[in-house]
Order: sequence, then C-alpha cells, then structure tokens
Amino acid sequence: MSSIVLQQAINGIVVGSLYVLVALGLTLIYGVLVQINFAHADIVTLGAFAAYGVTHLLSGNYLAGIAAALGLGAALGWLINAGIFVPLRERGSELLPLIATIGVSIMLQNAMLALLGPIPYAFDTPYSNQVIRLGTLFLTVQNVLIILVSGVSIALLYGFMKFTFLGKALRAVSQDRETAGLMGINPGHLIMLTFVIASALAGLSGAMLGPVLVLTPFAGTSVIVKAFAIVIIGGFGNVEGTILAGLLVGLIESYTTQFLDPGLIDIVVFALLLLTLAVRPTGLIAERREENV
Amino acid sequence: MSKTSPNAAAQSRERRVWYLIAAVIVAALPLFVTDSYWRTNLIVCALNILLAIGLDFVLGYAGQLNLGQSAFYGLGAYSSTLLVLKLGLPFWAAFAIGTLMAGAAGALLSFFAVRLRGHYLAIASLGFAVIIYQILLNWISLTQGPLGIYGIAPPPTVAFPGLPQIAFGDLRNLFYLTAGFTLIVYVLLDQMVHSPIGETLTAIREDEVSAASLGIDGPKWKAFAFAVSSAAAGAAGCFYAPLVGTLVPDAFFVSESFMILAMVIVGGMGTLVGPVFGAVLLTILPEFLRSLGDMRLIIYGASVTLAVLFMPGGIVEAFHLLRHRLFPEGEMR
Amino acid sequence: MNPAAPKQADPPTPLLEAHRLCKNFGGVRAVQDISLTISAGTVFAIIGPNGAGKSTLLNLLSGVYQPDAGEIRFAGLDLVGLPAHRRVRHGLARTFQKIRLFKQLSVLENVLAGYHTRHSIPPLQYLLHGAAFRADARRCRAGALDLLEFVGLAHRAAVPAGSLAYGEQRLLEIARALATSPRLLMVDEPAAGLNGAEVAALLRRIANLRERGVTIVLVEHNMDLVMTLADRILVMDYGERLFEGAPGEVQAHPEVIAAYLGAEAL
Ligand SMILES: Nc1ncnc2c1ncn2[C@@H]1O[C@H](COP(=O)(O)OP(=O)(O)OP(=O)(O)O)[C@@H](O)[C@H]1O
Ligand SMILES: [Mg+2]
Repeated sequence: MSSIVLQQAINGIVVGSLYVLVALGLTLIYGVLVQINFAHADIVTLGAFAAYGVTHLLSGNYLAGIAAALGLGAALGWLINAGIFVPLRERGSELLPLIATIGVSIMLQNAMLALLGPIPYAFDTPYSNQVIRLGTLFLTVQNVLIILVSGVSIALLYGFMKFTFLGKALRAVSQDRETAGLMGINPGHLIMLTFVIASALAGLSGAMLGPVLVLTPFAGTSVIVKAFAIVIIGGFGNVEGTILAGLLVGLIESYTTQFLDPGLIDIVVFALLLLTLAVRPTGLIAERREENV
Repeated sequence: MSKTSPNAAAQSRERRVWYLIAAVIVAALPLFVTDSYWRTNLIVCALNILLAIGLDFVLGYAGQLNLGQSAFYGLGAYSSTLLVLKLGLPFWAAFAIGTLMAGAAGALLSFFAVRLRGHYLAIASLGFAVIIYQILLNWISLTQGPLGIYGIAPPPTVAFPGLPQIAFGDLRNLFYLTAGFTLIVYVLLDQMVHSPIGETLTAIREDEVSAASLGIDGPKWKAFAFAVSSAAAGAAGCFYAPLVGTLVPDAFFVSESFMILAMVIVGGMGTLVGPVFGAVLLTILPEFLRSLGDMRLIIYGASVTLAVLFMPGGIVEAFHLLRHRLFPEGEMR
Repeated sequence: MNPAAPKQADPPTPLLEAHRLCKNFGGVRAVQDISLTISAGTVFAIIGPNGAGKSTLLNLLSGVYQPDAGEIRFAGLDLVGLPAHRRVRHGLARTFQKIRLFKQLSVLENVLAGYHTRHSIPPLQYLLHGAAFRADARRCRAGALDLLEFVGLAHRAAVPAGSLAYGEQRLLEIARALATSPRLLMVDEPAAGLNGAEVAALLRRIANLRERGVTIVLVEHNMDLVMTLADRILVMDYGERLFEGAPGEVQAHPEVIAAYLGAEAL
C-alpha cells in the first residue's frame, strides 16, 4: 500500500514538473504583459512533434530532438509576439490578444490534424525503456530525465529572474512599465525576450512529455487546460506559486488516477481552481497589488 | 453610438421596423426552403444565433469572455432531456428549468471570478466547460456517457381550439418555434442594450474603476450579463436535444465554445446583428465547404485571428466601410 | 463654552470627516495619520509636492482603496468598508488624475453613464421600452446636455471621448461626475494641462458649483486656482499633514513655503 503511495508520488512529480514547465511560460508572459497566449498549448504540441521528428531522423538522438523543440518554441514565441501581441498592444484591450491567439490555436491544431492525423504517435526515446528499480519502486530513465530537465530549467529561470540584471528588469516591467524605461531598457525588447523564453520552455516541455503522454495534435491542449488551472491556483504571474501548484496538480492527478478514476482528474483539478477563486482569489501565494489609480 | 443621434424616438421606431422585417423573414423562410436537410440547417442556424447573441451580450457589451458556452449549451440539453425522461416532467417545464439552471450556473461561476481581471473569468469558464464535458462523459448512470441518449421526442404537440394542431415533429413547425424564440430573445436583448443597461455594461467594458466612480456595481452587472449569456445557451440546448433526437457529450466539447466565439468575432462583437451574420455564415458556409474537411476549421481559426487584427468590427464593420466607399457623402452613423 | 467669549455663529456642519487615515503600499507610506473635516458648501484644497499622497487620500475618500487604519464619516455615515460604487449613491463623486473616460463612447454617452443611479424606469420597460422609459431617456439626455453646456462641451456631444483635446477630457470628467448629482465632488488636478483661459473658465465653474451648494475637494498644483477658490487648504508631504489652514495662513507659513510653495509664492 505505502509503496503504491510512494510510486504515485513519483509519477505525480514527473507529470507535475512537466505541468510546471508549461505553466511557467504562461505565468511569465502574464507577469510581464498581463496577457494570455492561448497558442502556448500548440507550441507544446509542435515541440513534441519536432522532437519526435528529429529524434527519429537522427536515429534515436533524443538530445538533438530536445534542442530542436527548444529552437522551434523560441521561434514561434517570437512570431506570435511580433505578429499578434505587438500590433494589438496599442488597442489596450485585455481580451483581444487572447481571442486572436485562440484563433491561432484552432489554426495550428487543425493544420497538425490535417498533416499528422489523429492517431497517437509512439515516441520512444532511448531512455523510455530503461528502468531504474528502487526496492519496490521503479521509474524509467525518461522520468528521471524529465525531473532533471524540469528542475534545472526551473532553477535556471528562477536564478535568472532573481539575480541577473535582465531578470530584475523583467520583474520591473511587470511591476511598472515606466520604471523599466528608467532602467534604460526598452520594454518592447524585454517583452519579446519573455515570449522567447516562455515559448522555448513550452517547446522543451513538449519534447519531454511527448514520450510519456499520448502524442497527438491535441497533446498540448489537454496539458494547457491544466496549466491554466495551475497558473490561477498559483496566482497569475507568480513564479513560486506556479511551481507549487504545478506539483500539487501533478500529485492530485496521479492519486486520482490510482484511488478514484482517471475520468475525474479534470473535475478534481477544476474544483480546486474554483475553490481557489472562491477562497484565495489571488492564488496560493497571495500578492495583493492594487491598481495605481 | 446610436444614442448621440438627434432623435432617439426615430431610432426606436426604426428598430421596431427591423424587428418586423426579421419576423417576416422568419415567417417566409420555410416557404422557400422545403427540403428537410436544409430546414434542419435553418434550425441549427437559429440555435447558433441564440448562442452567439448570448455570448455577444457578455463579450461585446460587458467585455467579459465566456468560454463556457459549450457547457451551458450542454447543461440545458442534458438537464431538460433528463427531466423529461427520468422525472416525467412536461417539456416546457423542463425547458424552463434547463434554461434557468444554465443561467444560475453562469451566475455562480462568474461570482467566483468577476472580482478579478477578465482573464480569470475566461479561464474559469473554460475550466467549467472542461468539467461539464467530463461529467457528461463519466456520469454514466445518469447520462449514459459516450453512448449517449437516443430517441428524444420533439416538444409536445400544441393544440389551440378551433385551429389545426401544431406538431413539432414537423421541421417547419420546429423552425418556427426555435426561430421565433430566438427572435424574441434578440428583441429583448436589443431593447436592453439600447437602454441604460447597455450604457452600464459598456461603461464596465471600457473602464471598471471609472464605472464604479459613477455608482456602477461591476461584479453584479458582470454576473448579470454572464447569467443572461449562459441562460441563452441553456435555452438553445433545450431545443437542440429534440431537434437532433440524440445527445452525446462530444456535441458539447470545448471546441463548440470556440466555434461560437468565431461567430461573434467574425460577425462583429458589440453589435447584436453582427453575431447573427456570423452565425448564419459559419453555419451555412461549411455546408458548401464539406469537401475541405479539416481545412474548414483552419479557415475559421484564421478568420478569427485576422478579424481581431484587421477588422475588429467583423462583417458589420466591413459593411460600413463598404458603404462609405460606395456612398462617400452618405449620412454618417 | 466660555461664557465670556464672543458669541460665534454655529460652526458649519461637517459634511465629511476623516480621522487618522493610513494607507501603505508595500513599504511606501502613502498616507499617514491624516485627519480632516470638510464643511458643507466649502472648497477644501489638498496641496503638496509630487508623491505626497494627495491622490491616495482621494482614493481612500472615494473608496477606490480601503484604508489600513482610520475612519471616514460622510454626513454621519461610516464609509469604511463601503465599496466605491455604494458611496456614489450617498453623494460622493470624483474625477481622476490620470483621465479615465470611456474613450470609445461618445461625449454624451459618457455623461449619460453617470446617470446610472438616477434612472426611474420600471424593470419591465428595460425589456420593452414604453412611455416611462422614453420619459426617463428624455430627462437624462436633457440633463446630460445641460451638464455639457455647463462645462462648455455641448458642441462636442457626438464625438468619441477619446478624440477630445486633453483639456476637454478633464472637463468631460467633471461633467460625468456631476451627472451622479453629488453633494461632494472631488477633483484630482483638474487644471493639469489646461491653458490660461481654460483655467480661468474652470475657476468660474468650480465657484459656480460651490454656489449651487456642492462641496468641493480640490487636489491641485496650480496655486492661483487654489488660493482663489479654497476656503481651507491641507498641505501634505510624504503622506503626512504638514499644515492646515486658510489660504492666507498657508501662504504665510514658513515650513510650507520651504517644502512646497518655494520661490513661486514669494
Ligand atoms: N496603487 C499603488 N501601488 C503602489 N504604490 C502607490 C500606489 N498608489 C500610490 N502609490 C505611491 O504612494 C505615494 C503617493 O502617491 P500619490 O499618487 O498619492 O501622490 P500624489 O500626491 O497624488 O502625487 P502627484 O502630485 O504626483 O499626483 C507615491 O510614492 C506612489 O508611488
Ligand atoms: Mg496625484
């Protein structure tokens, strides 16, 4: 019994750290821009397919696949910011960019569906079948890799935000555009940087989750819906809260699968989301900010 | 925009003329469209218009994105059907309850999120759409899950003394019922948006802090708009079930919300006629594009993005621009 | 109390009283221990250097922020905890320093939105407009046009608010606030960005409002305007009260001159 609990904890952390990667991208963009890129999901999916394609072309070189996903993600982030968020900025609407990227998402998803079909792809990396046993527990090397890569990316990002000049500038923009201007930094460039980082993370998470989840054109969408929940539970724009909420949702998911019913996962996660909105609307780690009027 | 024209009374008269024209069109359509395939399409059109004007009321006026229309649609469809099947309620009672339930669910949902920025409500309603879909899929003892509910009867026949009976198994009568209902909802919404309620909602859309400084209770009015929007979707759902005769969860997947959003955006949000055009276009057009398959949805996605970027007023704006081109010195509206 | 003292007229009734208000933003003490009493029918000015906390004080009074500590009473009613929109019904109105008009709506529609609390329409007539609805619409429209006339914008009624010149936008904010029929009107830097003639017109309008019995709270950097209009002046610096008194006293106060008025007043 307790080994099941532990095993599910490991599974939960594996999935949760993937969710954190996806959600961090959303939260970064929200923190800086107070906007949502709905097509983030499809960057995840495209990252997964890019990794799949490159890994197969290079006969099993998964690391090259990961690099390709990172690059593709970054490029898409650049494109989406330049093509949609920049032109819409002066209109100052809260919802128009969200709606426009819903359009992009529909487009990308159905383009993938037309090209790649709905049948799941078997994405086996060289690490998928290597199993590590720890007593009664076991996990694949792929799982270890996921935890490692996610952990390192999260740590790097965290360090970048906290300790580098650019990272501090990013946080300054998220607090107040004008201050960032005073720091001698063009807010437009910073926003672009944020998009590129966030989308590269999305591509990366695609490459990591392709092998463990069902790889179809809808892979990203099923993840993004949970990522949104995580971002709200953690407090939109709050990095620490997102990490915490991501792991929490991962654990809830694996325990729900084990002890209740996999069909209930989304229901439980969104019940948690609604509960958060009702009890702590600003998220787990509350950061109350009053609009400067 | 219309309020500033010198004569509000004339405009209100003009509106009533348009209602009349719309009623004549509704009455005449089944005379020209006689085969059952296209009559079914017309009914679907009417339901989509109902869904789209409902969404536009909350999106175009109050400035809040409701991505849960698919769920409220499903809630109306399943609850009314189950009330008839399991509790033996008469259709019209089930219809009223189904509509109210969807509206109440919308109000409750918005109650959670309206104090925050609009994004929260958008995401919370998206989450709600996911939950409802999953519940429809997994609560097999109630909904029969993916197998679906079959053989749903049309609304009961109406008989007025001295008049021929009206049976809703007849597609023409079902069209009159759904289109008539949609027209009534349209008129009521149109009257509301051209009343101080419209002013209040647009004030919230433009600037909520400023609206509060005029005594406007933002959360309350947003919840109101949200409830109206979801009740309209619920009512559409109540009609959907007897039209199709079958209920499966996939009809109420989240992508349905995006379709309705596309109708509003392409038609032109912030006017009620816009979504009507959008709904008709996006319902009828695919019938001609069947051969394109998945390309169809790619075109929808692209049209949403392009409309937001280049023609935020949608078809209605395009129409105005065109009129200006053709009649440059024509009256300004 | 002292029978020997000369008999004084009853002190004017206080319309708004605040007691030891405090508001912090993170580490910034924006408003510290501010108390004030504003008599009905007067112009109460708040001055102070940039960042002194004037707008924050106004936001506390109007309900945009809730205070961390302190009390606010308006005509005897406890305002603390009451959200901004509820305060409007009791007769508080305001304008914003960073202009917050409904930019896409027309000038007239902006003012009409200010009638939100003053409609008298039977609920059913929102769904089907009838005679009462039309009477209400006529009344509000006429009132709104009067207000636009009052601020000199009647000729611009139909244009989108966002297309007005800066000074006109400030005037429109005042008209919109007046549409709520306030007993107390708080204006945050109404003269910012106005030219000399416009400031003179603004001065006349505020004096006119006071004559009509509207109490005014005026946050302003333009000293001519303040010294001409104000009955009392509160001087703030770093969130705290530096001094409070009549215009003459303020102009004579050495600390105020040093901290704020500077050479300009001499
Ligand atoms: N919402 C807010 N969040 C954080 N800090 C704020 C907020 N509002 C005001 N402040 C800070 O509080 C202090 C007082 O600001 P306030 O706007 O009240 O000053 P002010 O006297 O109106 O200045 P000005 O003359 O420039 O308008 C400033 O340091 C400001 O940065
Ligand atoms: Mg100020």
